[in-house]
Amino acid sequence: MAENFAQHSNISAADLDRLTREAQAEATPSTARIIWNEFKADRPALISLFVVVGFILFVMVGALFIDTPKMMETNIVNYFNRPLTAGFPLGADAGGRSILLELIVGSRNSIGIALGLTVISSTFGICWGLISGYFSGYVDWGMQRVYDFMMMLPMTMMIIVLVTIIPHYNAVTLTLIFSIFYWEGTSRLIRSRTLAESGKDYAAASLTSGTNRWKIIFRDIMPNISSLIIVDTTLSFAENIGVETGLSYLGFGLPSQTPSLGTMIANANDPNNITQYWWTWLPAALEIIILCLAISYIGQVLRRAADASQRQGTAD
Amino acid sequence: MSLIEIKDLKVHYPIRSGFWNRVTDSVKAVDGITFNIEAGETYGLVGESGSGKSTTGKSVVGLEKVTSGSILYQGKDITQRRNRQLLDYNRDVQMIFQDSLSSLNPRKRIEDIIAEPLRNFEHLTKDQEKLRVLQLLDIVGLDADALYKYPHQFSGGQRQRIGVARAVATNPKLIIADEPVSALDLSVQAQVLNFMKKIQRDFGISYLFISHDLGVVRHMCTNIAIMNRGRLVEVGTRDDIYNHPLHIYTKRLLAAIPDVNVSERAAHRAMRQKVEQIYQSNRHDYYDDTGEAYPLVQVSPTHSVALPPELAHQLLAQESEAQD
Ligand SMILES: Nc1ncnc2c1ncn2[C@@H]1O[C@H](COP(=O)(O)OP(=O)(O)O)[C@@H](O)[C@H]1O
Ligand SMILES: [Mg+2]
Repeated sequence: MAENFAQHSNISAADLDRLTREAQAEATPSTARIIWNEFKADRPALISLFVVVGFILFVMVGALFIDTPKMMETNIVNYFNRPLTAGFPLGADAGGRSILLELIVGSRNSIGIALGLTVISSTFGICWGLISGYFSGYVDWGMQRVYDFMMMLPMTMMIIVLVTIIPHYNAVTLTLIFSIFYWEGTSRLIRSRTLAESGKDYAAASLTSGTNRWKIIFRDIMPNISSLIIVDTTLSFAENIGVETGLSYLGFGLPSQTPSLGTMIANANDPNNITQYWWTWLPAALEIIILCLAISYIGQVLRRAADASQRQGTAD
Repeated sequence: MSLIEIKDLKVHYPIRSGFWNRVTDSVKAVDGITFNIEAGETYGLVGESGSGKSTTGKSVVGLEKVTSGSILYQGKDITQRRNRQLLDYNRDVQMIFQDSLSSLNPRKRIEDIIAEPLRNFEHLTKDQEKLRVLQLLDIVGLDADALYKYPHQFSGGQRQRIGVARAVATNPKLIIADEPVSALDLSVQAQVLNFMKKIQRDFGISYLFISHDLGVVRHMCTNIAIMNRGRLVEVGTRDDIYNHPLHIYTKRLLAAIPDVNVSERAAHRAMRQKVEQIYQSNRHDYYDDTGEAYPLVQVSPTHSVALPPELAHQLLAQESEAQD
């Protein structure tokens, strides 16, 4: 059969190298390149990206050098030290603990949980949505009923109940509990796009080309909704920082001996702290605002890179 | 033996509703059609939009779950998935899609698109595979520098060529061409049709050529089936269909072919109005009480029409009188 093709074409094995080289010279840039160009074209986004990545690395590494149990010991001598006093750049709280150190460890915990939650719930939600959307029919019907059931549950209440009845929990179990309730939004979004994509002829063409269905889902359809996935994941990361923070603030998140952004903001529950000892809660609040703004700004740039018509970067 | 035999094929889409998702009704996209495709020929399937042509094509290539009926290839019923796998069916039967843009994965480079069937059905080395892709590009008239580009960088005609290259990659016996040129400019249409014919000669491929336009089919097909609301209303050779049409639906399709000859435009319009008038006043003769087409009756060894036998022969007599 190979002769059959050779016979009707002027190209032979001798031309292979030359033609490959010619084609490589004409190759189109990859998606990763396009996204990077888009960041380079948008200065504030580039700064946001560095701030977010730099900050996360800083707290992850910095927290390794801090002895948390020792840091959390009460030391009445330093009771509400003001910022910029010796050894307390950001001051101290009612227990005489350094706000700066608490902030670093707390950020590590909160961001770690948010990252874990984002990875687990997005991965699960994406797979659920892709499979449900591609295999329409009974599979889809069944998976959607599970989705409906999960959506019916009062999420915050369920988390509070679970946290209360589980005797010993830590950051990992907490992340897993949150994950049970945070994949639904992603799955619905991904499913609706998958429905549209799997109806397109390229999915049919892959099937007649002998590619198996799982490969079509994850190698053909998923790359085509990758922009949606990236944007959704980025934005849910920003949102997820708020999930743990909010619950810890209410007292149902991490145990009080484990610092987190939420427990620090909870300092503001005391009217005295709000005005007089503002340094106990303001840094954590500012950090959350800045992080969330920067992350959603990054999400916007990704969205723009995904949508060819809105691109600002030049190379294409 | 024919290359492919389609027997009483039905594809009904269930309409589900309610909480239990029960089937409450169905769309009869294809409702009992029978025809054979011979090796090396181009078989035309023509009908207006929504008549079930694409559904038929997709059933033949194995993309559609059929409701009943059979499609025989090498003596096996390929409406069953097991038989398709057993035969490596899609190595021999491929498809060219109407919408060239949506049929090429926008995230894949041309090399990967064309090589996809090769990777699944033939086990070539990297170099053999690349050589084959370059030869295929050459055969459909594209330059080698297309290799690492993406589909959106090509024009509609070029994309359809890429679609053809992919369909031809495994040297199949039958290609379903679903309105391959409908989305293209007239000048590009002729080019694509010509090289499809050339490929057919070079590789001995059969086509099932689907179109809504009898004008396009004329130069491609030896046998033609006319499809109307899921059923075949007339089947015959090119001569039967173009020169001795019997069913009013076929006559309407013929009248709808745009006339390029300016001087005869008025005559053409009068003819079209006459056909339309016959259709409006005599519709009941051509369709049964429920508005469905009749079963096919044979009026000559090659020619069948979906009419009550008396009417069919009466029309045939009129037709031959008019010819003399
Ligand atoms: N997946 C589907 N579900 C329900 N109805 C469908 C589906 N695909 C096609 N149909 C219906 O079947 C009929 C035939 O469609 P199709 O085969 O695409 O016609 P054609 O290709 O001749 O234009 C149309 O009425 C269409 O609405
Ligand atoms: Mg169609």
